[in-house]
Amino acid sequence: MTPFALFLILTSLAAFVGGQLLLKHGMEATVSGGFRHRTFLLFVTAGTMAMAVSFFLTLGLLQRFDLSYLDPFQGLSVIFVTLAAIVFLREKLNLRLAVGSLLITAGLILVSLS
Amino acid sequence: MSQTPPSAAAAAVADSRGRRARLFANPWLQLALSQTLTMFGDLCLKRGAMSTIHLAPAWTGLTGLASPLVWLGIVFLILSFVTWLYVLKHLPLSVAFPVSQVVHVMVPLSSWLVLGERIGPLRGAGIALVLLGLAVVAQPAAKLEERL
Repeated sequence: MTPFALFLILTSLAAFVGGQLLLKHGMEATVSGGFRHRTFLLFVTAGTMAMAVSFFLTLGLLQRFDLSYLDPFQGLSVIFVTLAAIVFLREKLNLRLAVGSLLITAGLILVSLS
Repeated sequence: MSQTPPSAAAAAVADSRGRRARLFANPWLQLALSQTLTMFGDLCLKRGAMSTIHLAPAWTGLTGLASPLVWLGIVFLILSFVTWLYVLKHLPLSVAFPVSQVVHVMVPLSSWLVLGERIGPLRGAGIALVLLGLAVVAQPAAKLEERL
């Protein structure tokens, strides 16, 4: 793998994690403000764009690498999304959530290694 | 809502319809739907991306758009995206996202059930770990559900 490919994989992952955060923040605004709320429009648009960047990078990577090779990186997204939700969205972490997320990540990596 | 139904039969119909609507609005059901759509979308994308590999592959993957399968995959993923937004509105991201990874179990399991692909011990162990993790994560989430 070239450094450039690694850069693309990490960029795709970062865009994906960032996109999820933006979408979640935007959708939370609809609970009280409905679908005309500015936060909803702004954040869901930004989140959708981030997801689109991640999508096209992944499509390009799929043309060069096996799905099973790229999948472990997607498996890591569980840890990154969970951590980012706790840090940026102030969601609560409990022991069950931490243990469960680690088990899921370990399982995903085993599945993609097989 | 506050109108009195004209008959008991109509009331029963309205009630069952309401129950069905409430079931459909359940964020956990939408989460399952979202991941099923993702599974179909990913399968279409992989096959479509492979079928366009001869078209001077670009790092952006834009050449993949020449394949109708990629477009079908995009339709599945857009539907999955809409249901996912609904899930995000109702569940914490730190719970919904780990649970959404069930899709990585659904794909190998459906390949085994439908296509007769074999699942080796390593893959089987990985699937078991993911399922165990899901059970651990989903339990406090079920408590959250009771409060809703």
